[in-house]
Amino acid sequence: MLKIEIEGKEFEVDGDGFLQQPKLWNEEVACIFARTDGTGELNEKHWAVINFIRKHWEKNDMAPMVRKICQHTGLRLREIYELFPMGPARGACKIAGLPKPDGCV
Amino acid sequence: MVKKKSLTSKQQKALELFDRKLDGRLRTHLNSCVRCGLCGESCHYFLTGKNDRFIPGRKVDQISRIYRRYYTILGRLVPKWVGAKDLDNKSIEEMADLIFGACTMCGRCSIHCSVGVDVSFLVRTARSMLVEFDLVSPGLQSTIDTAIQTGNNMGIPREEFVDTLEWLEEDLQLELDDKEAAIPRDQKGKHILYTLNPREPKFFPLSISAIAKIYYAAKEDWVISTYTYDVTNYAYYSGDDAGARELTQRLYDEMKKLEADMLVLAECGHGFRAIRWEGPRWIEKPYPFKVISVIELIAEYIRSGRIKLDPSKNQKLVTLHDPCNLVRAGGIIEEQRYILNKAVENFIEMTPNRVNNYCCGGGGGQLSMSEYNERRIQSGGIKAEQIRKTKARIVATPCHNCIDQLMELNKEYQLGVEIKTISEIVADALVIK
Repeated sequence: MLKIEIEGKEFEVDGDGFLQQPKLWNEEVACIFARTDGTGELNEKHWAVINFIRKHWEKNDMAPMVRKICQHTGLRLREIYELFPMGPARGACKIAGLPKPDGCV
Repeated sequence: MVKKKSLTSKQQKALELFDRKLDGRLRTHLNSCVRCGLCGESCHYFLTGKNDRFIPGRKVDQISRIYRRYYTILGRLVPKWVGAKDLDNKSIEEMADLIFGACTMCGRCSIHCSVGVDVSFLVRTARSMLVEFDLVSPGLQSTIDTAIQTGNNMGIPREEFVDTLEWLEEDLQLELDDKEAAIPRDQKGKHILYTLNPREPKFFPLSISAIAKIYYAAKEDWVISTYTYDVTNYAYYSGDDAGARELTQRLYDEMKKLEADMLVLAECGHGFRAIRWEGPRWIEKPYPFKVISVIELIAEYIRSGRIKLDPSKNQKLVTLHDPCNLVRAGGIIEEQRYILNKAVENFIEMTPNRVNNYCCGGGGGQLSMSEYNERRIQSGGIKAEQIRKTKARIVATPCHNCIDQLMELNKEYQLGVEIKTISEIVADALVIK
């Protein structure tokens, strides 16, 4: 198991860098993930996506469809890919502290 | 049949499975490796890891040593002389690490093998044995379980899938300025039943819009099932024959239910291999319908003049990555080149290519096995260099699994390229009257 340290606290991540205990997530974790995966500094649009993904996961225990992300944030699909160069799964969901989704991602 | 009181029930089950699988084909490949070592230089794990353990022959040995131990006289009497080893905990651990963690079943080594050993066949057989030990990597197993339990490997609820298709359909109508443009769902008696990789509706739906636009231009009579549409079959990767059979049978049943003529498989390498080539063996009957890759279909549209393309709409330099399961194992080799030469202005091959192409490193279920992530990224180093040398700005590849690995390689090796499906590139070049 890999570990990363944030503000003196250790977080376990899987081989792909997804949080092992998603409940330990906070905004600082999001910023650090974003800095290391090429997303860069998080702006308002990033946060709209991240907060929506986070809420959806807390309620439904799964990542939302990208359609829902667009619908709830008012962002266009192509904007999502520009905001998160690693895409909605390895990018946005990871930054939002979700565990890695199953499938070809 | 091996029966020994000293064996645990799992060992016994694994050996029973081996026994059931031990036909002429398996016996031939198990007995054929001459240890020439040529396979080493063909393997992206060995070339990037420089570790002798990664030589494909060593992976073959993980299963052939068990054969020698339990099925040959010398192996039974003097196991050490013939490199035979018990199926004990230590050897199983080593087997799982190499068989799951250091092979994408890409089959490049078999092309270079001096005697033609089918390494990926042996690796899959070894994986089947590891299924009996419950040693399938958790991420890979979870992807299979999700597919079996929910009908698709990402657990997408049906109503959300339908919502997404409706949303894409509205966009398509706006883009084409035609209220009749459609993404048809669940209608009987259509010519084509089209499948999807669940990552398309979940996270990357532009490829669905692209194929819908191509079908619109070709005036195709097609449909998507909102119940059974998953083109993937991760049980092919894990070696779980029962799971692989179940997933194949579901598509077979859906074809019957919807009375379609032809099953068209989305841009998915292993899905094509599993469904087109392995499927009939799993379900133990031939398909009474045609099964083709969407790449073959698009090539046919262009050849017959059913769709018109304007390559000047795609100006950037494009290169092509050959997915192992579609190309080396699946026989779809020239169609994607024919398509790209018609759809883009500037196309460049990477070297080597076609059946000699290197794996991207994401095959064999590697993307779902996080514990081997570091090796996966390292083994993709060869692919990254191949891409860099072409100086292309776009990498096209007819496989969603490869796309995800290429996206990671793009970041890790700072390639600065765009990664696209073939359909997306064709859709951009369409001339719609």
